[in-house]
Amino acid sequence: MIFKLAWRNIITRPLSSGLSAVLLSSSIMVIVLSMLTMKQMRSKFNENANKIDLVVGAKGSRLQSVLCNVFHIDYPNGNIKLNEVDFLFKHPFVKSAIPISLGDSYKKHRIIGTNPNFITQIYNGSISKGNFFNKPLEVVIGANVAAKLKLDIGDSFSGSHGIEESTHDHEDFPYRVVGILSPTGEIIDQLIVTSLESVWQVHPHNDKKGSFDLKTAEEHDHHSHDHKSEVSENNKEVTAVLVNYNSPRAKFSIPGIVNQKNALMGAEPAIEIKQLLDLIEPAVNVIYVLSLFIFGLSLFSIVVTLLNSMKDRKYEISMMRVGGASVRLIFISIILEGFFIGLLGSVSGLILGHSIMGIMARFLNLKYNYQFSGLVFDSLELVLLFVTILIGMTAAIFPAIAAYRLDISKTLKNKT
Amino acid sequence: MELAYIFGLNQKKLIRTNNITVKYGEIEIKFPNINLDYGGQLLIIGKSGSGKTSLLNILGGLLSAESGNILVNDIDIFSLSNKKRDKFRGQQIGFVFQTPHFIKSLSVNDNLKFSQYMSSKINQSKIDMLLKKVDLKHLKNASIQNLSEGEKQRISIIRALVNQPSIIFADEPTSALDDNSCNNVVDLLTNLSQENNTTLVIVTHDKRIKDKFPNQINLNDF
Repeated sequence: MIFKLAWRNIITRPLSSGLSAVLLSSSIMVIVLSMLTMKQMRSKFNENANKIDLVVGAKGSRLQSVLCNVFHIDYPNGNIKLNEVDFLFKHPFVKSAIPISLGDSYKKHRIIGTNPNFITQIYNGSISKGNFFNKPLEVVIGANVAAKLKLDIGDSFSGSHGIEESTHDHEDFPYRVVGILSPTGEIIDQLIVTSLESVWQVHPHNDKKGSFDLKTAEEHDHHSHDHKSEVSENNKEVTAVLVNYNSPRAKFSIPGIVNQKNALMGAEPAIEIKQLLDLIEPAVNVIYVLSLFIFGLSLFSIVVTLLNSMKDRKYEISMMRVGGASVRLIFISIILEGFFIGLLGSVSGLILGHSIMGIMARFLNLKYNYQFSGLVFDSLELVLLFVTILIGMTAAIFPAIAAYRLDISKTLKNKT
Repeated sequence: MELAYIFGLNQKKLIRTNNITVKYGEIEIKFPNINLDYGGQLLIIGKSGSGKTSLLNILGGLLSAESGNILVNDIDIFSLSNKKRDKFRGQQIGFVFQTPHFIKSLSVNDNLKFSQYMSSKINQSKIDMLLKKVDLKHLKNASIQNLSEGEKQRISIIRALVNQPSIIFADEPTSALDDNSCNNVVDLLTNLSQENNTTLVIVTHDKRIKDKFPNQINLNDF
C-alpha cells in the first residue's frame, strides 16, 4: 500500500516528477553513452592494436600509419619499396611479416593487396563460400561487403582510385569475386582482399607516385598508365608491412633497425593507440563532468519537486497522521517517492543511452568500419543504477524531514 | 487504576477529562470536565475562539494540554509514546472535519483502504458495506478529486468509521453545507455511530443542529 501511495504520488504529478526524472535520465544517458563509446573504442582499438606488434611504413605520422594500416581509417603516409623491407621476412625475431598495399576502393570499401595470411593470421578469418584468391584480380570479400553490396561468387566490379573520394574507376581491371569470408565482427568484414600482384597490375607506376598521393583527377594522369607494363622487382612497392614478433627481444631491436633506414618508419600500434586514447580521455572527462553537473541539477530538482509536493500535500499528510499514520510511515513514503524518481530516471537513462548508442553505432560502423553496438553492457551501469536510486532517496530526506516536522494540529486549524 | 482513583469514578466511561487547560501565548483556556459513556453522543458548542477545535484536538491526542488529564478508554493518551499514540488514534478514533481532506492521488476505495492499512486491519467488505450504506458504491473506483463536496463529506464519515473506532470526533462537519446536506450529514453521523456502537462527539457553532443532541456542553458558559 505504501509503495502504491508513493508511486501514485509520482504519477499524478507528471510535470514536476517528470522534470526531475528527465534531468536525471539525461545525465545518466550522457554518462552511459560516453562510457559505452569509450569502452567499445578502447576494446576495439586495443584488440586490433594487440594483433600487430609493429607497422613498418613510409616516414610520416606514426599514428596515421597505425590508423591506416591496422584500423583502415586514415590515409597512408606513402609507399615503401618491397626490397627495403626484405630483411623483415627473414629476420629470426619475426614470426610473421605481412605486406599490404592500399590504393583503391569499391563503394567506400577498401581494397587491400596482400596475401591470405592477412586474413587467416591477423583476423582468424575463414572462407564461408568459394576460395582464396590465386590469380591477380581475384578478390575475397568480407561478410558485410557481400551483404551490403549484394556481391556473390563470380560477380565482377571495377575498383575506384582512392579511398574516401575516388578520382576515377579502373575500368580496364575488373576484379572478380572468388570467395566470401565468414563474419568476424571485425574490420575484415568490411574489406575487399586481393593479391599484391593485383594492386601492382592496376598501379604499375607506383614507383613514380605513391598510390595514395593520387587524390585528384588533375594530379592523377590516368592516360599515362601503361596498363600492359609489369612492375619490375626493384620497383615493387607496398604501403606497409604488418609485423609480429616471435621473441620479446624483437621489441628492442627491430623498431631500431627499421627507424635507422631513411625511407622506413616503425610504429607500434599499442603505443600509438594508448597515446590516442590518452588524447581523447580529457575530452571524455569533460563530458563526464558536464553530466555530473546535470546530475547535481536533477538532485536539486528532486528536492524542490518533493518540497513543493509536501506544501501541496500538507493537509493530506496531516490527515494521514490523524488517521494513525506514524511519522515513520510518512517519512518512508516520501523516501519511496525519491526512490521511484531515481528508478525512473536511471532506468530510462540507461535505456536511452543504449538506444542512442545503437543509433550512433550505425554511423560509427559506416564511418570507421568497426562494429559498435548499443547492446554492449558494462557492470558499472548496475552501480550507476543503484547509486542514482540511492541519491534519489537521499534527495528525498530533506522533504521527508519537513513532513516529519509538520504540526498536524496547527495545519488542520488553518483549514478545517 | 491510579488515575481512575484520582477521578473518583467507579463507573466505566469512554472519555473522562479533568481540569484541562490550554495556553495560547498569555491566554489560558479552561475546559469543562467531560464524562462520556460508551456509545454516547455529545455536542460541544461555542463561539469562534472558544477553543472547540483545541479541545477536540486534545481529546484526539493531536494537541497537548497545558494541564489536566484525559482518559480515553481508560488510557491516558498523553502517557503513550508518539508511535503508540498514533496507533491508538488510528484504531480507536475517527475524525470528521469541516473540509474533508483526502490523498488526492488515490481513488475513493484506496483512500478508505489506506485508512485501514494505517491501523493494520484491511477489510474490503467493511468498506463495501459502508459505501453501500451511503449510496456511493458506484464511486468506489472514482478519483477523489472528482467528487462533490457533499460526496466527499459522506466519504469522510465512512473513513472515520472504517476501522470500527470507539469514538468519532467531528469538527464543524456541517458548517459548509446547505440545510438539506446538513441534515443528511447529521443523520448519517448519528445513525452510523449508533449502528456501530461508536461514541460521537461533535463540536460546532452551527445552531441548526443544536436541537438534535440532548447531551450538550456550551463552551461559552465557561
